[in-house]
Formats: sequence, structure tokens, C-alpha cells
Amino acid sequence: MRHLFLFLLINGLIINVSLAQMIVSGTITSSEDNLGVIGATVQVKDGTEGAITDIDGKYSLKVPDGNATLMISYIGMEAQEIPVSGRTQIDVLMQPSSSLLDEVIVVGYGTQKRSDISGAVSVVTAEEISSSPALRVEQALQGRTAGVQVAQNSGSPGAALSVRIRGTATLGNGDPLYIVDGIAVGGLDFLNPNDIESISVLKDGASTAIYGSRGANGVVLITTKGGTKGQPGEVTYTSYYGIQNPARKLNLLNAREYAIIQNESYIAAGRVPLAEFANPDALGEGTDWQDAIFQSAPITNHQLGFSGGSDKSTYTLTGNYFLQDGIIGGDKASFERYTARLNATHDVKDWLTVGNVLGFTNLTRDALVENNEFNSPLIRALNMDPVTPVKKADGTYAYSVYSDTDITNPVNAIEQTFDTWTTNRVVGAAFIEARPLRGLSIKSTYSIDATFAVKDVFRPIFDLSNDPVLSDAPAQEKSLVNTVAFENNNWRNWQWENIASWTETFRDKHNLTTIIGNTMLAARHDYNGGSNTNLPSNDPEDAYIGNTIDPIESQGTYQGATESALLSYFGRADYGFDDKYMASVTLRADGSSRFGENNRFGYFPSISAGWVINREEFFKFEPITFLKLRASWGQNGIDGAGSDYPFTSVVLPGQNYTFGPNETITNGSVALTAGNPDLKWETSVQTDIGIDVEFWSGKLNLTADYFVKTTKDMLYSVPIPFTAGTGPPVQNVATMNNKGWELALNYRDRVDGFRYDIGGNITFIKNEVTSLGKGGEPLVAGYIQSANSQSNRTDVGQAIGSFYGYVTDGLFQNAEEVAAHASQSENTAPGDIRFKDLNDDGIINAEDRTYIGSPIPDFTYGFTGNFEYKGVDLQLFLQGVYGNEIYNGTVRYDFIFVNRPASVLERWTGEGTSNSQPRVNINDPNQNARVSDRFIESGSFLRLKNVQIGYDLADILPANLKVQKIRLYLAAQNLLTFTKYSGLDPEIGNISDNSLELGIDRGFYPQARTILGGVQVTF
Amino acid sequence: MKKLGYTLLIFLAIGCQKDLLEKSPIVGVTEENFYNTEEDAIAAVNAAYAALQFELTPAGHFRWFWGDVMSDDSEKGGSGPNDVFELTQLEEFQGVTNGELLESEWKASYQGIYRANVVLENIPTIEMDETVKAQILGEAKTIRAWFYYNLVTIFGGVPLVDRVLAPSEFNMPRSSADEVWGLILQDLTEAITVLPTRSEYPPEDLGRITKGTAQALLAKSHLWQKNYAAAQQAAADLINSGEYSLTPNYGDIFSLNGENGPGSVFEIQYMQDSGGNWGENNQNEGSLTNVFQRARGQFEGFGFNVPTQDLVDAFFEENSVVEDPRLTYTVFREGDMMGDRGLFTKEATGGFPYDYYPRKYFSNKNEEASFGEPNTNGGSNDRVIRYADVLLMHAEASYHVGDEAAARQSLNQVRERARGVNPNILPDVTASGADLLDAIYHERRMELSMEGHRFFDLVRTGRATDELGALGYTEGVNNLFPIPQSQIQATNGAITQNPGY
Repeated sequence: MRHLFLFLLINGLIINVSLAQMIVSGTITSSEDNLGVIGATVQVKDGTEGAITDIDGKYSLKVPDGNATLMISYIGMEAQEIPVSGRTQIDVLMQPSSSLLDEVIVVGYGTQKRSDISGAVSVVTAEEISSSPALRVEQALQGRTAGVQVAQNSGSPGAALSVRIRGTATLGNGDPLYIVDGIAVGGLDFLNPNDIESISVLKDGASTAIYGSRGANGVVLITTKGGTKGQPGEVTYTSYYGIQNPARKLNLLNAREYAIIQNESYIAAGRVPLAEFANPDALGEGTDWQDAIFQSAPITNHQLGFSGGSDKSTYTLTGNYFLQDGIIGGDKASFERYTARLNATHDVKDWLTVGNVLGFTNLTRDALVENNEFNSPLIRALNMDPVTPVKKADGTYAYSVYSDTDITNPVNAIEQTFDTWTTNRVVGAAFIEARPLRGLSIKSTYSIDATFAVKDVFRPIFDLSNDPVLSDAPAQEKSLVNTVAFENNNWRNWQWENIASWTETFRDKHNLTTIIGNTMLAARHDYNGGSNTNLPSNDPEDAYIGNTIDPIESQGTYQGATESALLSYFGRADYGFDDKYMASVTLRADGSSRFGENNRFGYFPSISAGWVINREEFFKFEPITFLKLRASWGQNGIDGAGSDYPFTSVVLPGQNYTFGPNETITNGSVALTAGNPDLKWETSVQTDIGIDVEFWSGKLNLTADYFVKTTKDMLYSVPIPFTAGTGPPVQNVATMNNKGWELALNYRDRVDGFRYDIGGNITFIKNEVTSLGKGGEPLVAGYIQSANSQSNRTDVGQAIGSFYGYVTDGLFQNAEEVAAHASQSENTAPGDIRFKDLNDDGIINAEDRTYIGSPIPDFTYGFTGNFEYKGVDLQLFLQGVYGNEIYNGTVRYDFIFVNRPASVLERWTGEGTSNSQPRVNINDPNQNARVSDRFIESGSFLRLKNVQIGYDLADILPANLKVQKIRLYLAAQNLLTFTKYSGLDPEIGNISDNSLELGIDRGFYPQARTILGGVQVTF
Repeated sequence: MKKLGYTLLIFLAIGCQKDLLEKSPIVGVTEENFYNTEEDAIAAVNAAYAALQFELTPAGHFRWFWGDVMSDDSEKGGSGPNDVFELTQLEEFQGVTNGELLESEWKASYQGIYRANVVLENIPTIEMDETVKAQILGEAKTIRAWFYYNLVTIFGGVPLVDRVLAPSEFNMPRSSADEVWGLILQDLTEAITVLPTRSEYPPEDLGRITKGTAQALLAKSHLWQKNYAAAQQAAADLINSGEYSLTPNYGDIFSLNGENGPGSVFEIQYMQDSGGNWGENNQNEGSLTNVFQRARGQFEGFGFNVPTQDLVDAFFEENSVVEDPRLTYTVFREGDMMGDRGLFTKEATGGFPYDYYPRKYFSNKNEEASFGEPNTNGGSNDRVIRYADVLLMHAEASYHVGDEAAARQSLNQVRERARGVNPNILPDVTASGADLLDAIYHERRMELSMEGHRFFDLVRTGRATDELGALGYTEGVNNLFPIPQSQIQATNGAITQNPGY
């Protein structure tokens, strides 16, 4: 509470004071068209004063004295520095430039000119983010930055994305560290993409080492928009509305075909087919369950923003509303977000600045069960028999008489789902920055990230029986008792950070910037929840535990909390000589509460250097206007592996037993998981060699990097022999390598008013596990219900989570072939799959499994193209992955009644009829459904993520309206996907909580194809 | 310089948060700070009891899987061969070694052993009432012996974990079966000297391990090892204690009212009204046996553990016209009312072809949990050891030491109760020699069928090949189940497989 008070107090400090020595004004014009440049930045060098040109290109600025120097910059123009030399009127002519070298990039605890950076950093600008309506911030990174792989964890509204920077380099959580305005935050769901000014992705070990224990998976630095000093007030309004539709439907059996296959399956197993399927033709088409669950769904967004600045203050105030319904479930799978943001700074003294960033977010997410083969609506729709209608004659939902468990009427299941997550989150920081001496800045920032999330679940009473008295529906199609449950989760993280930085230039050519700082960070998670049954009302509006009539002792309640803290010290020195040679050294020390006292602190050093070759005398090749070689080495750590207290055994109550004549529940206590007092930091070491080349003053840019990242002492709860009797302790186990290279190319030019900008990037990564702890036993994951075994295996010499199973070798065509082959199963018959006897022992068993695919792509790539002519713009964005495999686990082969893909019509029915689609048999005696390459498919795809055409009306509107921009656009997202994958969507992220389970399609909620129209207005 | 002064003030304001990194668990207590009081000691031993209830760890491993489904008394059932396919494979003695059912049995047993070991290691140093302390240690030893009894009879020699293992000890190899039996006998012998008898416990401790529990388990252990004199003695000690008698009416034993009755020697307690979760580390006190063993369809069960014709025929062995009255309480036949859930017809069970369903753990609709999820909250206690079992063990042991009179006396006590109100059936056994032994074996099947004994009785008495050979049983292989393959791998081969697998 104390911290919150302090925070609010500082946020309240917006005071207006002004002091100035002299005023300089003038007009800035472009040499291209001799018109005023709107929105150019004029700043005093080494000072805080600044201004933005107005709609006529005019500016006015207070400067400390006549010896000051003005810095003038504008995107796409060459920046200039002009000494004031006592003048009060300075007009400037700016020359167009394509070079990005002067762009100021946000890096760890500071900013650097792009040309000065010696690490590997990618940047996404506000312009790129707003160019394609991003639903979540992570999407803005997808396909645009080399080395960053982004994939949807689900296509359902509000679902998270998985972001992997230079591959998966840990057995635990592989998400990068997200820093928003200096605040370390967990997840980006709260952030409105329209509020973002820039995103920097720190990729190499040297860039991330300043974040020490937190930067091992890369760092994503996000800066939200703020106003600019001297900028005239600006109002922006953006909005779009779109319709989402499913992009693809699977070809499944219709009722007639289903009956044929069922009959054949029964006969093959020596059983009598069901009487009602005797005449398949009479069943006709039956029900298309995909049509029954898929729908069109709206998506809409509105944003209103105000920003500006005086010579002492800046401000930005934005409000946003976003709503997206799901293409499965509609408003039962919707995501609604309100955000508000206030960013402000103020110079209290000419040496003292205070400011704040403050974002408030309210999220409501209604979600269906997703991505599991047991009870997700999608898996039910794909597996439900087509004979059962959606509804009975009386209009109520029907049930399948064939279905046993799991596969129920998906439409009813959606209707009976009332799962709502409501989240309120405040992320904000207040800072004081002092500049007591020239070149010295000392900044203290206090920030909080407070999340208050409530999950409400209601399970109503329903009964799909035909006869309400007999209640004939199977158990899974009726719920005779209603249930209400809730869970509260509060995360409260505070962080206090103090940084001193000092910049000095010696003898004109030596630039030295040093920073030292410390951070204290404490995180606390409180949770509680409860549930009860029997509400007299079946209305979800009445679903509160207080309304239940069951006895109080029937309430399931729980409460708990967990805490962690981090104490860090860090420093960095950046040295540059003559803009030609640059070097940087960092060191960070992190203490984590998650380790015992013996191993609490970890130390993370880095070093990097750059050489701008084109500035050497000997370099004479004119087309190359910039050429820099970079090399870096750095070390990071990871302290997290689930529990906040992995170093000790925690005795927990609740291991109860019943004693006494009245069956009294009596407490028992024991530690369920062993502690590991010797646990230490997981560390990753990365070496990077890179090159930045600019041709023709920025028309063509090329950046290439080669990197090797090794993670050792990886934290993981390796399974231990059950004889221990406890859950496994977290241990430092495996070592993993990610090697690869990445390339980004961009070409931009303008020809007679036609501007274009095309770019591409590609990343190759090879992931390999190089050791696996003491026993070295492979780690398995990815249980597949229909195969009754696991599909992912993490082993030395293989990529993490590689697919492991049997290798198919066509089908047995006749009894001789069965007899001639190794023994598979007692009742193997012609038409069954022949599995390879890899160890030649004459029997097909678990020893004949091998690695049959990798969920990790060989490479990922993206293309962008932007074209503009006289206010008309066209944007294209494509993204793809290549070389990964997907386990298609969407058919429940463990059930005999489920529907099948239409490919089963090509099944084996006699010698020579098929060599790939096995015979059908309800008993599947040969276990054709076992984990094998039969279910491994190529996951490669190329997707046209966004195509957009827009028109800016500003030029044709009367100038006295003073409208800077009024752009209308039409966009299509996920319009085309090129893939061989037979499922609904090949873009599968890390769906599972288990980091070793990768690339399994258990009924992935597909991404929608969206057509939307929008407007962007600035005045 | 004033500016610099102010700025330094900001930096000085940074408090030295020395304790920032000292975080201890908010929920729960670290092991170093627990095990200080009598209350802690009781909570510790209760946690060991909780392991007795584990039925899903994470897969099912019910006692009746091994004792009944593997025997000629019942078959798996369920919705078809693929429903818990591993059980089909086990039932047909196909030698599946990588199954989760075996794994779960292994895992749950060692979880219980760990918890007992925690008690035996931490409680002795607590300052508390010495009598209570001795009792708690006795309970823990008996629980440990029970889990080892299960392990040694299912798997043979297993790793002998008699302490809380350090990470360096995780890869412990197997000990011989004799060494395991050695620990079992030692634990039980020591427990018997300190445990209270059933009547000595206050009523609120009903359900705790008693001296009788340890005595009966000791008798079982000796009998398995063919130490007949010791088995006879242990059984006689229990019988002579006067603590137990046969429930007068056989049919009452398996009613809810019959729980913890006069003949109850060891019952794992379950209750229906506890709500909550289930399975490994469960927080509820209910059993899944009820729902697993009920017929499907209208009876809302899963239809497992289906009695065989062979079992039903056995109830007519003595008198082909008048059945053994215990049949009615063991098996539902078509046309029977299944409690308050309706008439047993094949149509009502969902069309499955089974003629019989098990009755002993059948639960009525009106006995279902009044709140929470009824399936996971079955209320039937698991009748692990009944007085009739002890009498029959006594009879068997007595026979082997040549005391046929004592054998007949114990045997006939069981028959007398079974006879019920019909004096014309189940006459007292007067046979001797091999006929007497056969009579004892037959009686065990009639009295204890569908209670998880049959497979082990057949293996123990060397009759498994005769009775189960047709089902695929091979002596020397199938008398033990395979060690879970995952555990051989997890220990890097320190644990070895049983012969024949």
C-alpha cells in the first residue's frame, strides 16, 4: 500500500513552470516539394527543450542561450545540427534521405543511434504496427523481425501468442522478457497495440546481458507513445470494423459414407453392423457439424488519442475499445478490451524532470475449451457422427446414441459454457530524473504492475434426453446438478529502479557513456477460489455461490499466495571512437529469492564491439554508404521453473483421511515435492557475429547475423524413479544449443511520387539438445489419447520435443505379406499398416520407434511490401515457416463411432486397393492408430497475413480544415494460406503448458479470415 | 552543487532492503519447521493413511484389478476391448510392460511408503506423549508393511526403501523378495507390540490401524511364505483377542451400515460427501470403485469387473439345485433389481452382452453424494481384511500344520454364517486330508470373491496354472506382474525386469 501511495503522489505532480533565455523560430521546408514539413522535431542539443513543427512547417522554441545547437529531424529526411549563433530566426531546408542510421533505438536502460549499436537489435516502429490492424502486440512482431518466431497459441479471441527469440533455448518458459516503458511485465495482453511508439527486440547475449537473469530468452522493449515538447496538440481517431470467417473446412464423411465405413468396421471385427445403417443411401448427407459450430463473427476497434507538449511538458492521453467474437462460439468465445493511458513528463527545474506512464486495462474474455482432444467443441464437431442431427424435431438439441464419453453435441456444449475471465490491470511508473551536471543523469523510477483477475464458471442444468422422465441421454449429455465456481488471482509486482548515466566526449572523438543502476523487484501472487452446487436458478446471471442451497461444508474453497523477489545491480560502459570503432561492456549481478542462500546471486557479463569499415580511409566502394561489422558475447540467466520455493520441501496440509463413526475428515500433512537446496542459476551464453550494410544512402539495407546460443544447467523437474515417493525436485539438468543465422533485407525508393518499400527476412535455426543430466534418459511429453502413448521426445542429439514413433511401410496387401513380416499383433491382417522392424528382431514393439519429425522449423521468413502513390497506398505482408512437422491428432481413433476424414474412403478393401489408407476395423487389432509417421504431416506454410489498400483524403480536403490525415482503408487478413497440412490451420504455437510438448494439433482453434475496413484521422 | 545534493538525496533514499530476498512459503511450512508437536505427528501419519485411498495415480490401480480381473472370477468389462486397453492386455497375460496401470500401482505404493518413512524418521524426536508416539509409529509401520505386501505379491522383490531417499539414492536397485518379506515381518511384529486393539481406540479414531490389522496382515504374510505355524499363531492371536466376530448376516457386510462392522479387520475408509478433487494427492475421501463397477447405461456406471459364468457356476458346486446364498450378495443376475436403480436387463445396461454385474460394491442412487460429483465420491469402504478371511487363513494354516480339527472349526464358523436361515445347505465340513484343503479353498472363493483375493490365492497356493492356464497364465512368468518399463528406464537399468517379460 505504501508503494501505491508513493506512486499516485508522483503521478499527481504535473506543475507548469517556465523559464527561458531566448526564443528561436523559423520554418522547415522540404527540398522535394518546397512545402513546410509537418511534425519535424526541433531540439536543443544536450538540453530538454524541444518543439514540433506545425501544419505549415513553422516552429518556435526557447533555447538556453545563443550558443546552443539545434537538432532537426524528421523521418525520411536527413537530420541536421545547426548552431544558433545568436540568431532568433532560423529557416531550414531538409533533404530527403532513406537512411535509417540516425534513427534512435531503444536499448537496455538507454537509447543508441542505430549506427552505434554493436549488438543485434531489431526494431518495429509505430508505423509498421499501425499498418496492419494488430489484435495483440505480439502480432506486430510476427514475420517482421529476423530471429523472432511468433505463432498463435490459438485462433480464439484473446489467446496468447508464443514468441521465441532465436529459438527455444530452455526447457521451461521460453517467453522473452517484456519491458514496457521500463516495467518488467508478465504478458502483453493488457497492452493496446495502438499505444506503442516502438518495439526493440534485443536478440544477442550482449544486448540482453544488462537484464541478467531475465534476458535469456531475449528481451522485447516496448515504448508507449508520449507527446513531444513544443508539439501542437493533436487529436487522432482510428477505428475499424471487420467480419471474420473460417478460412478452411475439413472434408469429413457424410452420413451415407459414415454408415458404409461403420458397417465395414463392424464386419471386419466379426460383429454385426448396426441395423439402422443397413441402407446407407437412406441416410443422405446427414449433419455437417463444422457448419453447425462455425460462424461469422465481428471484430471492432475504436481509439481516440490526444497528445501534445509545451516547452516544459508533454502528454498523451488515449482511450481504446476492442471487441472480437470467435468464429467458433461467437460471443461465447469473445474478447473485449478497454484501455486508457496517460503518459506525461514535466520539467520541474531545468535540471529536474518528473513524469509518469500509466495504463489501465479492463479485459473480459469468454472462452471455450480449446486445443484438447477430449472436450473442445471443435474436436467434438470433427468427431461427432454425421447421423445425429443438431436438433430434435421439437427444436431442442439432440444427442448421439453412438457416442460414449467425450464426443457430445458441440453446439449444445457451447451453449452450456459460461466461462468468463475478467481482468483489471494497472501498469504504471513514475520517475524523477535529475541532471545535476552536464552529461550526468540520475533517474529513479518506481513502478507497479497490478493485475486483478476473476474467473467465473457456471455449469447449468441440462438434459438432452428424448424422454425427460426416463432421462435417457447418456451421462455426458446431461447435467442434473448445476455448479458455480470462481477464482480470484491477484498479481502485484512492484519494481524500484535507480540509474545513473554519464555521457562525455573527450577530445572530440572519444565518446563514453556509462550507466550504473540497481533494481529491486518483488512479486506476489494471491489466489483464492470456491465452488458449490445446486443453484435454485439456472440463469447464469444468478450464478453466485451465495445463491446455492447446498450445505456450507460442500463448498470447495481454497486460498494461497506465493512470493518472489529479485535484487539486481548492473553497469555498462559504451565507448566509441570517431564513430568508427565502438565497444560495450556490461555486468549484472542478480540475487533471486528462488535459490537457497548458497546460490542466490548470479553474475552475467557481456562484451561487444563494432567496426564501421566504410569510414576507413581505404574504403572506396561508393555504392556502400555504411558497412559495420559487429561481434558480441554475453551471458544470461534464468531463475524460474514453476515454484517460487524450489530450494526447500514444503509440507502442505490437505492429505486427509476419514476417521470416526461420523466420517470426520481429518487433516494430514506431508511434503509432496522434494526440495533441492543446491539449485543454481540456469545460464545461457550467446556469441553473435553480424554485419550491417547500407547501399546508396539507405535505399538498400542488409543486416545479417550468425549466432550460437548455448544454455546449460537448465532448470527442470526431471522425472525421478517413483521409489522416491515424492514429486521430482527442480534440478539443473540439460544443455541445449541453438545455432543459426538470420538475414533482413529492405529496399526503399521513390520515383516521381511513387514510394515503395519492400523487405524480407529469414531465420535459420538448428536446435539440439546436447546433454540431459545424470541419467540422460529422454524426456517424453505429448500424450495422445487416440494412440495411448506419447509423441514428443527430448533427447540428446535431437531438437527439443522431436516426434518419436513407428515408421510405416505401406500396407499388407495379402496374408503372405503379413506372414513374411515381423510379428506386429495377433490379429494383424491384410490392409493393416506394415511398421518397419527397425532393429530386425522379428517383432514390432516399442524398440522399433525412432525420430519421425521435428516441430521446430528449419527456417521462418516474412515479406513486406508497401507502395504509395498520391495518397493511395497498398500494403502486403506474408509470413511463413518451413521444415517443421505437425502431429495431426484430431481424430479420436480410440472411439469406434467417431467421424473420419473423407480420405478413409480411399481405404484398403482388397489387394492393390490402397497402400496408405488402412482397412477399417472397430477393434483396430493392429493398432494402426499408434504414434507413427502416419500422423506426422508437413507444417510448412506461407500465409498472406495482411493485404491492405488505403487512401488518404487529407490532400484533397480544404487546407483550412487543418486535417493532417484522414485515411480510409480496406484490409484482408489471413486471406491465403499455402500449405500441405490437412488440418484446419498449420500455424500452431506452443499450445501446451508443457514446454516439451510441441507441434501437436489436438483440434487447434483456427485463425479466422478477416475482412475489415477502417479509418485513421489526425488533426 | 545544490542540484547534486538533491540528486544524491534521491539515491540515499534507496533503503537497503536486506530481507528482500528472504522469502519463505506462505502456504505450508518448510520441512525444517514442521514435525515439532504431537499435532504435527498426527498430521504426518494421517497423510500416510491418505495414500491408502489413492485409486488413480494417475491411472487406476484398484485392488480388484489385480485380485479379480486377472483371475477366473471376473473379466474386465467396460465399453469394449479398447476401454482401458492395458487391462485387457494384462487380463490376457500379454506381458505388457509399459503400462500406466502397473506404473500407477508402483507409484502409489511408494508414495505411501515415503509417507510412512517420513513419520518413522521425523516423529521419534518430537517431544510428546510417548504412548501416542509409539502408536503413531506402529500405524506407520503397518501402513508401510501393507504397501510392501502389495508390492511383493504383485511384483516380487522390489527396491527396499526404508528411509526418505536423498536424490543420490533415487536409483535404488531391487532387493530380493525375502528381504522385502523380512521388513514386512519386522514392521508388523514391532507394530503389534505397540498398537491399541480395536476396542482400546476412542470412537473418533475408528478407521485407524489396530493391533488386529497388524496381526491379520502378519498372518497373511506368513501364509504367503508358507510359514504355517507362524501364520496359525498370528491368526489365532487375533481370533483369541475377542475383538472380532462375524457379522451375523452375510448380506449386511457390504451395505453402508455394515461398514466397520464386527468382522472388520482392515477397511480403507471412503465417504461419499466430500466434494473436491480425486486421484493422486486427492483431497476428497470418495472412491471410484462404485462407479467403475456399476453397469453402464441407465445404471450410470462404467461396467467394469464383470463376474464370469465360471464364478457363478462355482456357487452351485456343492448343490446344483440350491445355490450358495452368498451368490445373491456377490453377483447381479439378469432380472435382479439393481438397488433403487432399476431392473437389470441387457437393454438397460446399454446393450452390453454381460449376464452378470458385481454387487458387493454396488451403490444405490439414494446413497450418492448429496453434493459434489457423485462418480468420484463413491462411499463404499474397501473391505481389505475381514474376520472371515482371518478364520479361513487360520483354517488353511492349521491344516498345513496338521491341526485338522482346528481347521474344520474355523472353516465351519464361516459356513455357519453363510448358511443363514436355511439349515439344509452348506453342511459342516467333516472331510480331512486333501478334501479338507479343497473345501477351504472353495470356501475362500465363495466367501471372498470379487473382493480382490482370488488371483493372489491361486498364485499363492500353486493352483494358478490349473485355473488360469486357459486364460494364458504361465507359471514362472505370470505369477508376478512385469516391473513398469518406465521405472527400469528411470533408474537407468538399476531396476531389472521380472523373468519372462
